Amino acid sequence: MAESSKIEYRPISVREALTEMKDVSEIMIDLAYSAALFNSHELAEEVMELEKRVDYLDYIIDMNIMLAARDAEDAEHLTAVTTVATATNKISDAAADIAAIVLKDIGIHPIVRKAFEQVEERLARAIVKPDSILVNKKLGKLELAAKIGVDVIAIRRKREWIIDPEDKEKILEGDVLIARGAPHGIDELKAIASGKLKKME
Amino acid sequence: MTITEEHFKKIVDKLVLLKDTSELMIDLAYSSLLLNSQALAEEVADLENHMDNLHTDFELLVLSSGFTPKESKDFLGLIRLGVVTEKIADAAMEIADVVLRGLEPHPILRLVIEEAEETVTKVTVSETSTLVGKTIREAQLQEETGMWVLVIRRGNLWLRPRPDTDIRSGDILIAAGYAEGEEDFESLAAGTKERSNEES
Repeated sequence: MAESSKIEYRPISVREALTEMKDVSEIMIDLAYSAALFNSHELAEEVMELEKRVDYLDYIIDMNIMLAARDAEDAEHLTAVTTVATATNKISDAAADIAAIVLKDIGIHPIVRKAFEQVEERLARAIVKPDSILVNKKLGKLELAAKIGVDVIAIRRKREWIIDPEDKEKILEGDVLIARGAPHGIDELKAIASGKLKKME
Repeated sequence: MTITEEHFKKIVDKLVLLKDTSELMIDLAYSSLLLNSQALAEEVADLENHMDNLHTDFELLVLSSGFTPKESKDFLGLIRLGVVTEKIADAAMEIADVVLRGLEPHPILRLVIEEAEETVTKVTVSETSTLVGKTIREAQLQEETGMWVLVIRRGNLWLRPRPDTDIRSGDILIAAGYAEGEEDFESLAAGTKERSNEES
């Protein structure tokens, strides 16, 4: 990591943090392979953003766990939790390694593309522009899955991540949507988010 | 020097296998934790050994491609991808190790892996089983027994079940699900029982 800053202690639910870590690390793996497949710098950058989030969560979990142990027996139980958190962090590190291959232009041999062609669905990033029809709409109301066959699996709002956003989540201008779907649906979502397309088919 | 198509195909197949195996290991590792299942954790450990061999095979294949200096960067990317799958496998092993060390998983961990799994079972498909020759989709195991297949072990291969994966005699199915379905699932695989509601 290029920059490190001091992380303030925050009492959070270890369960929530670990759940988020697990979900995020799984999304990162998918995103990273997609980045490699399409040689996509933009997807690789998102993986790096998520990596920062996972590092933060891992650190916070460690702090909370240390404060939670009251005796040796407690400590032993809790060790299992930190071990899992650390392993999950490693999975996200592995995803970041894939992203680094893309970002450093080491290049992936074209045969990798062949290897992953079996995957019909793909992941993509769409940035919501101010004049997009998505702005200020609730995710559930948009029915993206039914209408264009894409599923928004995460939203990045400046430095904040919303993983598995709920139906009531409102899309804001500047949001970065991470979506999964068939190629034509993804293209449509990008066009709608950029404001070029004003209506869903 | 040109690299033959056949050689390419071998590299691609190995890479897909590495990727699938590493992801399967993560699934199994979290499941082993959730169910506090030694059997599943041992399966992860077996896969870890298997991964090491696969990875070596993969690296040797890539290195023996006879690439030119100009192409070497593309091949470096491949080597690195292989390393990543290995890293993921190692992380899965660390998770499974919590179970193998016999530490009672903290209740928090169960809450994190919110799935409805209750039990895990390992069965060998007998020649007389009605499952033989069916695909996972056709077998309707989840609908009929409430158990779903996590992994199919076929000789030296571990397969991640997909809807169109076929079930063969001699396959070892490792499945998770509801405790009530375990017996039905076992007898279906053993071939000692016809489907109770085949016609209904």
